[in-house]
Amino acid sequence: MIQSIAQKEFVSTLRDRRFVVLSVLVLGLLLAATLVGRASYRTLQRERTVAQQTVNDQFHHQPNRHPHRVAHYGSFAFRPKSGLSFLDAGLDSFTGASVFLEAHQQNSVNFSQAQQSGSLIRFGELTVAFVLQLLVPLLIIFLCFSAFTEERETGTLKLLLSQGVSLRQVAWGKIVGYGRAVALVVGPALALAAWLLFGEEEFGNNPDLWVRLALFGASYVVYFFLFIVGSVVVSAWQQHARTALVTLLGCWMLGCIILPKATANLGANLFPTITKAQMDAAVHEEAQKGINGHDPQDKRTALLKENLLKKYGVTSEKELPVSVGGLVMAESEAYTSQVYQQHFADLTRTYERQNALSTWAGLLNPYQAIRPLSIGLAGSDFAHYVHFQQAAEDYRYQLVQRLNALQASMGYGDKERKLDAATWRAIPTFAYHAPPLSWALGYLLVPALALLLWAVGLSWLGLKVIDKTPIA
Amino acid sequence: MRVFWILFTAEWRHFKAARGLVLLTSLVLLVGLYGIYYGTTEIGRQRQHLAELPALAHHNVEELKTKFPEPADAGEIGYYHTTFAVHHPTPWASLSLGQRDVNPYYVKLRLLGLQGQLYASENVNPAKVLSGNFDLAFVLVYLFPLLIIALSFNLLSSEKEQGILPLLLAQPVSAALVVGAKLAFRLALVLGLALVLSGVAMLWARVPLDGRVGLWLALVMLYCLFWFGLAFLVTGLQRNSAFNAVALVGLWLVLVVLVPGLLNVYVSAARPVPQGIELTVKQREEIHGGWDKPKTETMNRFFALYPQWRDTTTIKEHFVWRWYYAFQHLGDQSVQPLAVAYTDGLRQRYELVNRLNWLSPAINAQTSLNALAGTDLPTHLAFQRSATRYHDTLRAFYYPYLFRQVAFTHADYAKEPTHTFTSSSEISTTIRGLGKLLVSLGVVYAAGLLLFRARPINPR
Repeated sequence: MIQSIAQKEFVSTLRDRRFVVLSVLVLGLLLAATLVGRASYRTLQRERTVAQQTVNDQFHHQPNRHPHRVAHYGSFAFRPKSGLSFLDAGLDSFTGASVFLEAHQQNSVNFSQAQQSGSLIRFGELTVAFVLQLLVPLLIIFLCFSAFTEERETGTLKLLLSQGVSLRQVAWGKIVGYGRAVALVVGPALALAAWLLFGEEEFGNNPDLWVRLALFGASYVVYFFLFIVGSVVVSAWQQHARTALVTLLGCWMLGCIILPKATANLGANLFPTITKAQMDAAVHEEAQKGINGHDPQDKRTALLKENLLKKYGVTSEKELPVSVGGLVMAESEAYTSQVYQQHFADLTRTYERQNALSTWAGLLNPYQAIRPLSIGLAGSDFAHYVHFQQAAEDYRYQLVQRLNALQASMGYGDKERKLDAATWRAIPTFAYHAPPLSWALGYLLVPALALLLWAVGLSWLGLKVIDKTPIA
Repeated sequence: MRVFWILFTAEWRHFKAARGLVLLTSLVLLVGLYGIYYGTTEIGRQRQHLAELPALAHHNVEELKTKFPEPADAGEIGYYHTTFAVHHPTPWASLSLGQRDVNPYYVKLRLLGLQGQLYASENVNPAKVLSGNFDLAFVLVYLFPLLIIALSFNLLSSEKEQGILPLLLAQPVSAALVVGAKLAFRLALVLGLALVLSGVAMLWARVPLDGRVGLWLALVMLYCLFWFGLAFLVTGLQRNSAFNAVALVGLWLVLVVLVPGLLNVYVSAARPVPQGIELTVKQREEIHGGWDKPKTETMNRFFALYPQWRDTTTIKEHFVWRWYYAFQHLGDQSVQPLAVAYTDGLRQRYELVNRLNWLSPAINAQTSLNALAGTDLPTHLAFQRSATRYHDTLRAFYYPYLFRQVAFTHADYAKEPTHTFTSSSEISTTIRGLGKLLVSLGVVYAAGLLLFRARPINPR
């Protein structure tokens, strides 16, 4: 019986001209967003690959130089776009694309898309995720708001129940039928995305991406299911189609527009952060005077020199086989990095606290559950961004320390000498490897659970409501 | 007139009785107040951060005074001394934050090459800026249309559906008067709300009382009137309430969500911006190449730009600061065309959006409010130009010490130029936006009136 009700809903939906117009529109937008996303992904990826290649070549082709000059010359780290970011650009437009890596200081990641655009970008970008998260639910609302009210108003509900069908069966039949109609709209776009991915050589045999795409699809199935159940339940609960529609639209606006912004802003108000200038000053201060005022830099340097002389059993720097300058530089870099890491971890923790408010709001609002899940799977969330920053900083530290070691090995009077150009070719360049899905899973647990909780809770509570729904 | 008042007060009684609508209106009021609170605290936070910068600069000077006892080499000071170019907001920024959270509101500067420093980002939570700002402009541009739709989607249709309209029109009342009174009541309610919120925000943000107050109010009023115009137009189609709701929400979706999204895609494709990164990479190459080039070559190129220092002593030393700063500046010079192309590209992007913003009054209203508040891209570019000029004056301050080899004394720190820049409103952009809004308004109402004239109201 559920099957025949589902079939009836499916067929009559397809015959409804309003639905056909709306769904063709949504499908068109989805396909367009997939293609546009793909094109912009490719442009950005190409630009960044070329730029990374350029700076790598530049690094390898340096002339004879002193290693500390090379440490100041430095390098750049470009953030490659993650494989699925063409489906959900997430934070990518608001995070920088490149960071300059040099000795002594940690620079900011610069040149974000948002900085290269006027306030238009703040209306939201037209990505696949945007259509799936905001527009498909609207389509579902328009599709389902009259599911029960219409049957009641035309008196067909009574007829249906007199056939020995329970209200629950009617509800499930409708949910399945609408589900099929929605699948018809969303399916082709996801298939196109999968096909586009498959066409790329680098992704063709990358199981990690395929699992991510599968989970991406599965999360949206749950999300849409939620909206279908919710709309059908509201339609059964409300007496009139009009009030059902207004209620559903109100929920959509609250959940998809107002709450996400409000919680993000509230988080920023509750957990304030310091500016980059303050952070840099604090790092510098602690590095100079020592953490908590212990071991100021002068004392550390003096101790280092003293120990060196003792170790090699000599009385002056001139007799040392190593360059004191290089070793002091290495010690200072290690100390400053340690201080910086603490401050960076503090800052990241504060941001995570700010964002946690939004993530936990996922328990109240399914939109705020699907969003972190979606960007996490697409690799364009905050955790992936921090991972890149950390990788760039790790590389910077390794590079600078390697150069400091080279300087130390040059012995006394290194400042007057240079190292051969071949030295730079032996130094590995920055290569970023995006973390695997298993790494990201921890960050996705809360939103995934929230979404499942919603699905189970809504079906359970909703069917209870439907049991009590008036028939006439 | 008396009949109008009867209808008007009847609407008021209706409204009071409809608990959902009262709830919705109070919700919008609360949300508006939250928007004002958020906007003012965000700008307050930025102001506080800016106020803390002089202390950092002062601390830096104190450190340098111990590190470099008198008489110091100005080259060392220029290298280690950090100063700030600061971008203060207008009081209006609290009402419409625009891009002030995305673009850094200060730049840390040293005497080194400018292009490597000018584009540094500020600590920012990307998840927060992605979600966007919950300021008063957002409430007015995004949410007010929804309130207007909720209030007026069933302007006539509900009367018709409840069978009241035929009774009403049986009285000596014209249909135009009924629609007029209904619209007038809703207009009074929404515009009153917009006025109260704007007034509270202006008082809270302590905006100066000048022509901009009128501009803001005019923009907000016209924008609300535009949405009433759409409701009027849809009412003219004389369909049922569900159709009206779907049509109006559909229009909202198109104007507030779809057109901006599509326009964004179009603008980025039509005006590709030369990559800023290309510029910094090239500048680095030039500057570091300076170390390996013959000193006389570098100095001659520099003297061609600054002939006033040509008579200074020839450099024989292995390293000397004036040579170092000369190739730093030459690095900036070499990427000058790229830097100009980059900012021009950004400006062209912004201008293209402004040219096409008639496509959606929401974009028009948002960009006009941001222009009024001085929080959009042009203001940031103006700040960057101002920071560039500041860097020029810093160089001009240090060059005599470097080239005439004058010792830098501790008293000289106080003579160093400082920087301040306050956003100014882009009034002409706002006025253009206002004009376009007026045209959109005219079109919508003309279409509505034509529709009512073509198809007189059918009571059934």
